[in-house]
Amino acid sequence: MSSSPQEQNREQKEEQKEEQKEDKEEPKESWKDCIYNPRTGEFMGRTASSWGETVSMFVCLSLSDRETNTLDDNVPRYQDRVANPGLVIRPHAAEISFNRSDPTNYNQYIQNLHNLLQRYNDSIQERNDLCMVGEYTEQDNEPIKKVCQFKRSMLRQCSGLRDSSFGFAEGKPCIIIKMNRVIGLKPQGDPYINCTGDSPLRMQYYPSEARLDKMFFPYYGNKAHADYVQPLVAVQLLLSREDLNVEQTVECKLEGTNLRNDDDRDKFMGRVVFRVKVSE
Amino acid sequence: MIYKIQATSQGHFTRVQHYLLYSARQKPHGEFNKARWLYFGCSQLLVHTVRMPDSTYGRSDSYRVATTQDKADRSPKKKKGGTKDMDDLKKEVPITEHKMSIEEVCRKFNTDIVQGLTNAKAAEYLIRDGPNALTPPPTTPEWVKFCRQLFGGFSILLWTGAILCFLAYAIQAATEDEPAGDNLYLGIVLTAVVVITGCFSYFQEAKSSKIMESFKNMVPQQALVIREGEKVTINAEEVVGGDLIEVKGGDRIPADIRVVSAHGCKVDNSSLTGESEPQSRSPDCTHDNPLETRNVAFFSTNCVEGTARGIVICTGDRTVMGRIATLTSGLETGKTPIAKEIEHFIHIITGVAVFLGVTFFILAIILGYSWLEAVIFLIGIIVANVPEGLLATVTVCLTLTAKRMAKKNCLVKNLEAVETLGSTSTICSDKTGTLTQNRMTVAHMWFDNQIHEADTTEDQSGASFDKSSVTWLSLARVAGLCNRAQFKAGQDSLPILKRDVAGDASESALLKCIELSCGSVRAMRDRNKKVAEIPFNSTNKYQLSVHETEDPNDNRYLLVMKGAPERILDRCTTILVQGKEQPMDEELKEAFQNAYMELGGLGERVLGFCHVLLPEDQYPKGFAFDTEDVNFQTDNLCFVGLMSMIDPPRAAVPDAVIMVTGDHPITAKAIAKGVGIISEGNETVEDIAARLNIPVSQVNPRDAKACVVHGTDLKDLSQDQMDDILRNHTEIVFARTSPQQKLIIVEGCQRLGAIVAVTGDGVNDSPALKKADIGVAMGISGSDVSKQAADMILLDDNFASIVTGVEEGRLIFDNLKKSIAYTLTSNIPEITPFLFFIIVNIPLPLGTITILCIDLGTDMVPAISLAYETAESDIMKRQPRNPARDKLVNERLISIAYGQIGMIQALGGFFAYFVILAENGFLPSRLVGIRLNWDDRSTNDLEDSYGQQWTYEQRKIVEFTCHTAFFVSIVVVQWADVIICKTRRNSVFQQGMRNKILIFGLFEETALAAFLSYCPGMDVALRMYPLKPSWWFCAFPYSFLIFVYDEIRKLLLRRNPGGWVERETYY
Repeated sequence: MSSSPQEQNREQKEEQKEEQKEDKEEPKESWKDCIYNPRTGEFMGRTASSWGETVSMFVCLSLSDRETNTLDDNVPRYQDRVANPGLVIRPHAAEISFNRSDPTNYNQYIQNLHNLLQRYNDSIQERNDLCMVGEYTEQDNEPIKKVCQFKRSMLRQCSGLRDSSFGFAEGKPCIIIKMNRVIGLKPQGDPYINCTGDSPLRMQYYPSEARLDKMFFPYYGNKAHADYVQPLVAVQLLLSREDLNVEQTVECKLEGTNLRNDDDRDKFMGRVVFRVKVSE
Repeated sequence: MIYKIQATSQGHFTRVQHYLLYSARQKPHGEFNKARWLYFGCSQLLVHTVRMPDSTYGRSDSYRVATTQDKADRSPKKKKGGTKDMDDLKKEVPITEHKMSIEEVCRKFNTDIVQGLTNAKAAEYLIRDGPNALTPPPTTPEWVKFCRQLFGGFSILLWTGAILCFLAYAIQAATEDEPAGDNLYLGIVLTAVVVITGCFSYFQEAKSSKIMESFKNMVPQQALVIREGEKVTINAEEVVGGDLIEVKGGDRIPADIRVVSAHGCKVDNSSLTGESEPQSRSPDCTHDNPLETRNVAFFSTNCVEGTARGIVICTGDRTVMGRIATLTSGLETGKTPIAKEIEHFIHIITGVAVFLGVTFFILAIILGYSWLEAVIFLIGIIVANVPEGLLATVTVCLTLTAKRMAKKNCLVKNLEAVETLGSTSTICSDKTGTLTQNRMTVAHMWFDNQIHEADTTEDQSGASFDKSSVTWLSLARVAGLCNRAQFKAGQDSLPILKRDVAGDASESALLKCIELSCGSVRAMRDRNKKVAEIPFNSTNKYQLSVHETEDPNDNRYLLVMKGAPERILDRCTTILVQGKEQPMDEELKEAFQNAYMELGGLGERVLGFCHVLLPEDQYPKGFAFDTEDVNFQTDNLCFVGLMSMIDPPRAAVPDAVIMVTGDHPITAKAIAKGVGIISEGNETVEDIAARLNIPVSQVNPRDAKACVVHGTDLKDLSQDQMDDILRNHTEIVFARTSPQQKLIIVEGCQRLGAIVAVTGDGVNDSPALKKADIGVAMGISGSDVSKQAADMILLDDNFASIVTGVEEGRLIFDNLKKSIAYTLTSNIPEITPFLFFIIVNIPLPLGTITILCIDLGTDMVPAISLAYETAESDIMKRQPRNPARDKLVNERLISIAYGQIGMIQALGGFFAYFVILAENGFLPSRLVGIRLNWDDRSTNDLEDSYGQQWTYEQRKIVEFTCHTAFFVSIVVVQWADVIICKTRRNSVFQQGMRNKILIFGLFEETALAAFLSYCPGMDVALRMYPLKPSWWFCAFPYSFLIFVYDEIRKLLLRRNPGGWVERETYY
């Protein structure tokens, strides 16, 4: 096999580019050398160690660059997908249906609520700080982030303190609405929860006006802000006698803020829909 | 020529090339000394069976030679074995009428020799026997053809996949409230793919058959019959047995007829028997065999000249032609090699799919999934293994090759046949052009008792003899005059050697040679007006013409003759030496013999030339020469010389040959020896007997490597004996085969595992054409029956296209391998996400839609572009593939695609997946086991690694972004994959990046991926989301790794031929 002129050209170019000193006097030089040169141990113009370096550099750079150097412990790199937080209700069910006269029927719901409110016990919350109402608790530079107090007792009738059945026994169940935690989120305006039923329905919000106070924002993540509790809003459905045995659909929305609550696809972004049916 | 031989001698030596080189060394001077390709005499039918070396079948790389007995005895032979019906068709032609007297024939058909049939009788016979037409071969209805496309081969795999998908969806629909639509969509897409590809190939083949239709002669044949004493022209279909009919030159004979009277009638039986010379017809029975006797003319042969009257003895399917046609359409053909390969491929894929499916089914059960879920997984995994795009890729690749071949006038009737020629290990051909360049050229001359080299240079610079020699001038005159070839008009500006000639190959060679050395042959012919001529025919083996002399004062006539040297010599009493006529004595005869032997031994076709000046007293001016009933002297001539011609062999001629020829055994053997079909040093039984001086019967047949099988022997051979011959003799020649014998040879070769190609144009070839793995028919000269039976048609009758076909076939086989390797590789990054989804409960990394986007979107163009890849090495130097060993898809290909490259690709994809999820807050540690909550629609506050909470839809968007990124990563690693798949052995640096389609493919897939990711609305339509630019680069290192990995593998493979790397990874 003889080497074609192009191949020789390429070989020479390769050599110039790599600035590898090849012994050009050596007569048995052939095109194969540009792939593998047995004399210098070069493969495609580089020695094995040179190749190793290049490859590992390349791999390391691209791997370590993103994984080790740029991933923050406290904030994920991208948050664009959670810019608008979702709303969820407790008890955790899309359809809350129970017989008010049968406690076993709704026990799981109130247990669920008790579990949620465990962290909001006044005894725990009293350890936390009191923050300025209506203002963000910004503490970006503080090494230890303070946690704003949200006492369970603020939920009054729906706190489960006085009425441990959260109104379920009366047929006037409390539903607790919470907004998803998002690191660094600072809702503008004056966010509050507004619920509407498909039929006119009397509802009582706790805390009054159903406000999610700005002082609970921003959130600094589960490492820096381990004891953080998110603000809650409880809504008690004051069902009348006629409403019993009828399925009530209630939609609660986050309003008074720049956060979206009307996404076509995401039915839980800034809003939540649930159904309640209380029977006797 | 010199260059060609040297070029071919670079690689491994084939036996022919060895031989050629050997002769080149022996005789280093002169152009055509380099290669010898010899033809003795003028055989009417020369069937070469070219067999390529194949040691596994007990044949070594050599040639087989056999010849038949004398031409006169040429009856179709009974064939043993086969079904009873077919057997009957394979039997001798049951015509006996030729042996009856005319009266007997008339009595048999109740007809009259003068009046013909009565109209009433004719009508009665027509009702009894049916119309005089061949029953068309049972045509498959269009819908059956369509269904065959829909459900054949590869489609089955996809259909199974689709059905499984629907099944899985049905299970899900029955058990879940909101079943995921994935399985349903996948099922629909799979169905759509099969249907669309099915339609595509159906229309592709329909196009070919349309061209086929155009071959059919639409003009209804007419026949001139005499009924009740009146001549009437009727439709040939209405001709019945007993009809008295008249044919004249130019007519097609409407039925098998017994000639009752003839006037200079000649028929062209070539489509029936392969004999190209017109045969004269007369009322006399000259042979027992109806095919040989002169008083029978056959249906659908042509009357060339003269007129004849005859009684119809057979019509329609009962005619000789009809029997062959029926035999042909009754033959069953096997699967094409590529179909077998695809079947094998499906087996492998199914095996892998079922293995994976069952393994993970068991794993899923162990992991605590419910039975139903596990079944869904099982189906999912099996379906994920189906390469959705491959069917389309293979179809398109084959179509592209078919188109390329169609451009070279090679029409492929069946798409799959495109590849068959490439796998062919045995070619049976009745045209010498298959093996040679079909450019017959004068190589040597013998005159003045000396062999001279012909000068074939355009400027006559290579003259090696004295051109003023009287003998030479006489020889040139004979060669120029006794020659019917002439240059086609309007080529005066072209060099002589490049001009087109109307006439047969050897006459053209002579014409060019004389034109080159002596100037215009036309002028010579004008000076010597032709007054009579007897064209060449196989009985005389000579051609003669009578001319006026150049000298206007000389009123004598010049008789010139050429033909088979020994026949010419027989007619000569004197010989021209140094311009003087000398009596032919023993010494000169021996000199002639030696020269003849030497030229013959060089493998050249030798012709003898002689002339005589007819004495004026016997043949005065104006003498009426009767060429039919020769009334002038054709002996006592003066021998002038010999000229020999060669047809240079093609560089790409396959290695080994079984030859089947119409020649005399000795001639055939000489040809076979000349072309290396019987190699030097190998002897036949007869040779051994002659050498040892013992009777043939005492020679151990096993001692003879070469074998000459006489045609008559063939009918007496049992299947085992036939196999024995094919297996134990490495070099065989068959000669003068009947259609049935050709069939036996083809069947014999196939029994031994060879892939057989047959070429032919006559009806007599069609059973073999049909039976062969690939039948190649002639578009122009071929008969309809042969075209119907063939898989491929050479539209311009140019046999060079066969070599193109072999090359294209081998190339497409290689390229299909590459295409499949490329396509299969992405299967692993497509399956593993699902496996990890099941096993470690992570969110699904790659969804069904994105898988389909890869298989049917981005992978398509690059996979198809590999069909445009040029060969890595000289594929024509390679031995034909061994169908038992060289598979389209083998374990090594699967190991490379699935086990190595695919795994790296999967790593790349997973890397991108984990990067995106981590950058969005879900670190890998959080992901493991998250699946149930992740996919729970009611969980809308799923916590990530940072304490943030996600709604279902929010995290699904991230998941789909991951799908998109995984998809993009596969595209990125497939860049490297397509580049490494370009070559199987060479480095891409050796191969280069000259495949423009492939480069286009790289850009196209990237653009498509970008489009799918960034086009607004894709989030709704396909649930694909825009990627951040940095995510595109996640897979880059893996792409690079694939490239380096495979380059190293190929380097090791090249450096250690036959080493571990090659054994384990060369696919």
